[in-house]
Amino acid sequence: MSKVFLGMSGGVDSSVSAILLKEHGYDVTGVYMKNWSKDLPGMKCPWAEDLADAKRVAVQLDLDFEVWDFEQDYKSKVVDYMLNEFKKGNTPNPDIMCNEQIKFKLFYDRAIACGADYIATGHYARISGEKLTNTALLRAKDENKDQTYFLYRMSDAATAKTLFPVGNLLKPEVKAIAAQKGLDVATKKESMGVCFVGEVGMKDFLREYLNSKPGEIREAETDIVLGYHDGAIFYTIGQRHGLYLGGGLPYYVVKKDLDQNIVYVSKNLNHPALWSISLTLRDLHLRNELTVGDLSQTSNLKVRLRHRAPLLPAKFQNNQVTFSEPVKHPAAGQSAVFYSDEVCLGGGIIAK
Amino acid sequence: MIYLDHAAATPVHPAALKAMLPYFTEQFFNPSAPYLPAKHIREAYESAKNTIARYIGAKGTDLVITAGATESINLAFTVLQSYPNSRCLTLTTEHAAVLEVAKAHSRDLIAVHHDGLIDLDDLVQKLNDDVVLVSVSLANNELGTIQPLADIAALIQKTRQARLEREITTPLFLHSDASQALSLLDLNVARLGVDLLTLNAAKCGGPKGIGALYLAHGVPVQPLSLGGGQERGLRSGTENVPSVIGFATAITEAKDHLSGSRKKYTKMAQLLRQALKNLPETIFLGNLKHQLVSFVPVCFPGLDAERLIYKLEADDIFVSTGAACAANKGAKSHVLAAIGLSDEEIAGSLRISLGLTNTEEQITIAAQKIVEVVQSEYARISQHTHSIQGSNHAFQGGTNV
Repeated sequence: MSKVFLGMSGGVDSSVSAILLKEHGYDVTGVYMKNWSKDLPGMKCPWAEDLADAKRVAVQLDLDFEVWDFEQDYKSKVVDYMLNEFKKGNTPNPDIMCNEQIKFKLFYDRAIACGADYIATGHYARISGEKLTNTALLRAKDENKDQTYFLYRMSDAATAKTLFPVGNLLKPEVKAIAAQKGLDVATKKESMGVCFVGEVGMKDFLREYLNSKPGEIREAETDIVLGYHDGAIFYTIGQRHGLYLGGGLPYYVVKKDLDQNIVYVSKNLNHPALWSISLTLRDLHLRNELTVGDLSQTSNLKVRLRHRAPLLPAKFQNNQVTFSEPVKHPAAGQSAVFYSDEVCLGGGIIAK
Repeated sequence: MIYLDHAAATPVHPAALKAMLPYFTEQFFNPSAPYLPAKHIREAYESAKNTIARYIGAKGTDLVITAGATESINLAFTVLQSYPNSRCLTLTTEHAAVLEVAKAHSRDLIAVHHDGLIDLDDLVQKLNDDVVLVSVSLANNELGTIQPLADIAALIQKTRQARLEREITTPLFLHSDASQALSLLDLNVARLGVDLLTLNAAKCGGPKGIGALYLAHGVPVQPLSLGGGQERGLRSGTENVPSVIGFATAITEAKDHLSGSRKKYTKMAQLLRQALKNLPETIFLGNLKHQLVSFVPVCFPGLDAERLIYKLEADDIFVSTGAACAANKGAKSHVLAAIGLSDEEIAGSLRISLGLTNTEEQITIAAQKIVEVVQSEYARISQHTHSIQGSNHAFQGGTNV
């Protein structure tokens, strides 16, 4: 019987993963990864309820269940990374970092050390192939839920030893299984965005950890002061909500001057800062021993710029992704992820 | 459903619910309003307060109605504000509502023995001249341990005398949180010897969010909220009439059936204990002679009590670990730590608390289920390395690339 350590978050996807693994005869140990237990603004003990949900499911399936504490590593490898990126004016994606550094590295390493044949999570993605070098990460059957955008940096070694039990299912099917088994989490509200910040909102979280001071919001074209913001680092290029500049046509953030603490906005949806035909990438992570040269020669290359965003035809050359027509410029710090058909080839972080 | 967590909450007694209902609708008037129907509401409210007060041998005007035990305790501790540089004493095993309020003042904690009873020597030692308030719960909320309040009161009386002889005028008050004991023990304030007593409706068949603080004449508490001056100015805000009516009805019901209830509890607790005793690992917690008859706190060393809860829950049987609020925070029980249990023993401890809606049949079923679940959990951890034939890769190798 293969031994599997399953990351259980208390959500419906990892809960149903537990059911499926058990039904297929795996020896499953549920693990709650404790990444963040500090109080959040307006929230006491945000993790306790998720832990209880995860444990309840594990126990009712008669699985072993453990809590693995990654809090220190999470702080240094995910949260500090995130804060540093914000300080540089970027908009990082901590979920991608969490998957690379915690779930598919520390959790994986520890599981293997504990004698695991596999690890598993409730992500919507699939894996194919047997040998390490051709173990491919594939998009989920449920296109609408596919999470490979968040997973592109997981190592090949971990991929070869990972199971995604719900990757071949549609979300409604997953919910139906949970409901049929009478799981309370069948109707649980989905957590959105950063695992631990979730409910509180990124801005309130950042406010606790970053120094920020109020500054001006100016119109890019005229330099006229339109209003005030509470810290330029909280703003992202392209953002149009949360500016509080009153009614009328919306303004978009088109530039941040972190030195002067000024946010520039524009009503012009065609402002050049909002669109680009090509993007420069850094920190490339290519999967399955793919080279930069291979990537440049991939004929049907597609790129995804946000979770659930459409796959755009593109070319890759010299760390540059070029599209056939201008795309809405994603924020620096986010990722561009490459695909060939259903295979995720890897990706990189948008430098500018 | 077999509900065995009455220390956390009790269902509202049908008679209490029935008595409350008119006060939400046709009898909705503000008791302070000037017209006649409102006056009748005031009379009903005062009468309900008197009913509650009579149960503890006091007058309605000795009570301040609050939103529950936590507020009563917070109000009680305001006596310290009247005496600069004063201290309070409380037990290490008190409910968080007491411990947290005490922490906001100068305070010393009094130790308890392994059975949860107060260490009276420790109390004597810490009863210095700057102590103004001693707060000891009548019955502990996790163990059901009943503290010898009359002995404590006698000790306090002696200390007062001694202070007077030495011409020390600092007063000394005794407060008790009787939340858990309301429907089971004699709460006569004179016999208990308390100056302040916290009551809570939700643990005895009354609604949640209503409680009272008894104040002996002249105990100088300070209001926590200011406003219209209700409750002798100690608790402003329009009176929660329906809840006070419900509280009074629940207390009346409890009082009328006190001896019958005690017998019923004793019988049910015996049944449960006998069944659990058959498990060689079972340790009953607390002092069995000085324990609320509705409480069966029990420890299964080596097990994870949360797993037991979730397994029993699947069979519609509800038990708990420690205080409901502490359990939610994922913290280990400070009460069980204070009576000297190891971390492993704390992790394996359940709080089972019976109620009047339980039947002997329910207890028999629940006991059997608990035994089964405990046995299966011991079996699970003892044979951790089992290997069954057949490997499976159902979630890998689906598509070839």
